[in-house]
Parts: sequence; structure tokens; C-alpha cells
Amino acid sequence: MISLRKVWVVAERDMRMFLQYKFLLIMRGIWFIAQIALFGLVVNRMVSQNVQQTVGGDYFNFYAAGIIITMLYSTAVFIGYDIYEEADHGVIEYLLSVPVSRKELVIGRSIGGGLRSFMYVSPMMLFILYLIGISNPVQLLVAFASLFLFTFGTAGFSITLAVSIKSSDRFDISLGIIDALIVRLSTTLYPIAYMPSFYADIARFNPLTFAADLFRWGAGIESAFLTSPAIAVLGIVSFFSLFTFLGIFLHERRIEGGGWQ
Amino acid sequence: MAVKAILHIVERDFRYFFRYKWWIAGMISMNLADLFIMAIVYNGMVNPTITEKYVDYFVFFAPGLTITALFAAAFMIGREINMEVRREISDYMLSLPIKRWELAFGRTLAGGLRGVVYMAPLLLTTLAITYIYTNVVPSALQLLAIILALLLISIGTSGLSIALAVSTKSFEKYITARGVVYYVLFFCSTVFYPMILIQEALPRPLVLIAQYNPLSCGADLSRAFLLGYPPFTPLMFLDITLFALVCALIATLAYMKVTQK
Repeated sequence: MISLRKVWVVAERDMRMFLQYKFLLIMRGIWFIAQIALFGLVVNRMVSQNVQQTVGGDYFNFYAAGIIITMLYSTAVFIGYDIYEEADHGVIEYLLSVPVSRKELVIGRSIGGGLRSFMYVSPMMLFILYLIGISNPVQLLVAFASLFLFTFGTAGFSITLAVSIKSSDRFDISLGIIDALIVRLSTTLYPIAYMPSFYADIARFNPLTFAADLFRWGAGIESAFLTSPAIAVLGIVSFFSLFTFLGIFLHERRIEGGGWQ
Repeated sequence: MAVKAILHIVERDFRYFFRYKWWIAGMISMNLADLFIMAIVYNGMVNPTITEKYVDYFVFFAPGLTITALFAAAFMIGREINMEVRREISDYMLSLPIKRWELAFGRTLAGGLRGVVYMAPLLLTTLAITYIYTNVVPSALQLLAIILALLLISIGTSGLSIALAVSTKSFEKYITARGVVYYVLFFCSTVFYPMILIQEALPRPLVLIAQYNPLSCGADLSRAFLLGYPPFTPLMFLDITLFALVCALIATLAYMKVTQK
């Protein structure tokens, strides 16, 4: 039986831990401003009129919404680094000794990792929504609920990767490569209509595509090339379920016994 | 004697550089993904009249990629030096039988050379791409001019990053300053888009930064020799040389000063 109170205690601890990473928060904040106020503004003028029409009238809005999802993803995966930091300092052994089951621990960490990412990105998300304008609050609420699941799933994915690999170097390399590919092979930066088919086929199944298109739908951006909301919600729920389940499964089996490098 | 001492410092910093396997792997993936995914997708989205003088956006971006790689790799030495100053490893460095100016200059040079070594395969990729698309092979003199310009930019970037690194012991302040300088130089440049778009989209002060930004001059100088546009002007070389000299001098003096405390 899972105790929700214990899950919350674990999640709350991870949220407090996040405030220690001032450098990450600062860097991500500056990156966001640069992406929106410099790159976004210039690229908006670079793309053709056809693209502007394809993405619902304004490429800048399309791009800004995608950057929010990139931010959510990159802050949620940071939980994996926490696990290595804890392994390095022997905190994992301490966590295993507290009266919290392995399941509660991993669910709490996924929720904490996701919530802290959402809380950090919220002011930027509100700013972007202010720029885009909200046309349908109900759609936005559906999108928000799905994005919560997306961040929990991303945190679960990072935990899964961290406990599977157990080597901080290899984790860094893997996450670096995945980061480089998962963002570019999604619709966060550009619509699927302009991707070559071999990239578009991958992008269609990318959780970042589901999240970005759902957020755009929630914000009222109308484009025929967005993933259907029903498919996007289904994709995010599947992503969340898969990595929460895998996270629990692997965490229970691999967290003990040391072997962390 | 001075040359030998400086070479020892350069060798040490190179050994350190290759310890960051994870970082190098992540950066290479990011650079290649930028070129072979992002630039290819944008290629179909960009208004063709904007990039027609450069063949297309993919070919336009290839020389820019070399600059981004060089800049990121050369900028990294600042982070190491800031860490050394905070952890007082620089005190140990002072105990070595090497003069302070040799130490300071050696580190600036090492940062620059690391950038060039990291960038070399990407420069070859750029040469291959421009040859495939334009059938143009740069003359030996043009190639030498490109390599010299890139080396100067790399040394200047290394100097800039060292000057920032020793300006404060606070990691948060350093990260903030680094982030602002890094992204402003990166996005207020012609690495990703031609100058005409920057002039249209950004306010005058940022346009001035973009015009005199050594990254813009480096990217445009490479394009001038590889693609024939924009036309080469000696001002590009002057800008890059001044940047390298001023930043290397400031870095050497600042590093000497911080190690005297």
C-alpha cells in the first residue's frame, strides 16, 4: 500500500533540493530570454510566409510555445543528476534506511522532479501565454494537466536512465546525446510539415512533440499540422506510464548493491 | 625557457580537456544535430530570397557551425579557472617553477588551441559541404586566412572567458555573467542568420554588437572565401585581431592579478 503522505514528503524534499542549483536556474533563465528575445525574433523574420500560415499565423508564437516545452524537459531530467550526486555522497544508503518503500521513493521523486520543473517554468509559461493570448481556458487546463504528466514522465525517464546506467560519465554522455536529438527531432522548434520524412516519422512519436503540440492547442494556436489533442494526450499518458513503471521496476531492483561510478 | 614553460601549461590544459569526454560527446552530438537536423529542416522553411546568395540555409549555416563549436570549446577554460580560483588550486599552480605571465599566457593560449582542435573536424565537414554544393575549393591562402581567423577568435574567446572567470569568486555571479556574454555573442551574430535580418528584428545597440561581434566577422570571413558572399573586407580581420589581442591581454593581466592575492 502506497502512502501518499510519504510520497509527498519525498517530492517536497526534491523540490527543496532544486533551489540549491542556483547556477542551473540562472543559466536556464538566461537561455530562455536569449531564445525568445534574440533567436526567436530574428528567425521569425527569416521563415517564409507559407510557414507563418502553416503554424497558425505567427511563427514566433509557435516557437515560443516550443521553447517552454524544451525548458520543461531540460529541467525535469535534472533529477537524474541528483541521484548521482546522492550516490557520490552516500545519501542513497541513507534514503534506503528511511521508513519509505522503494515504490514511494521513486514515485515521490518522479513527482518532485516534475513539479519543481513545472514551478520553475511557470512564470515563463505565463509570460508566453500572455504574449500568445488565451482563447479557450478549458483547452488550456487540459493541456496543463497533460504537461504535469509529461514532466513526471520525463523525471521518471531520467531516473530510469540513471539507475540503469549507474555511471555518471555514461549518464552524462547518454543524456547529452538524447538531449541533442530529442529536441531537434520534435516539433518544439518547427512544424512537422517541413521535416524530411525520415525525421518526421521519428518526430511523430516523440513525447516532446506531443507536449509542444498540446501546449500550442491549449494556448489556442490553430494549425492543421499540430498533433491531434487526443493522440497527444494518449502519447503523454503512455510516456508517463511507461517511464513511471520502468522507474519503479528498475529502482526496486538496481538501487541497492552499490556499483555507482 | 618561456616557450617550454608555456608548452607545459598548454599540455596540461589539453590533458584536462580530454578528460571531459561527456562534455565533448554531448557537444559533438549537439553540433552535428544542429547541422544535419535543425539546419536541414530550416532549409525548407527559410524565405529563399534571404539565403539565395549563399546557395541555401544549410550551406549558409555550415561555416557558422564551425564558429559555434570553436566558441563553445574555447569558452570552457573559464569554467575550469573559476573552479580553480574558488578551490584555491591556483595557489598550487603558483608553486610551480613557472613565471606568472607564462602561466597566465599559457592558459589563454591553451584555451584557444583547445577550441581549434575541437573545431578542426567540423571545419573539414564545412569544407566538404561547401565543396559539394558550390564546387569551390578555397586556395591555400584563403584556407590559411580562415584557419588564422579561427585561431584568433578562439584565443580571444579563451581570453574573454578567463577574464570573466577571474573577475569574481562567486560561482553564481560568474555563471550569470558568463551566460549573458555567451548568449549575447552567440545570438547577436551572423552565425545563425544574415545581418540583414538582425538589422530588421533587433534594436540598434544589439545590431551594433552583431556588426562588430568577432563571431559575425569569423562566420562572414569563412563565407566570403567559401561561398563568395558577403564580400571579404580587411575590417573583418582587423576586428578579429583586435578582439584576440585585447582579450588575451586582459585575461593575462587579470589572471596574474588574481593569483597575486
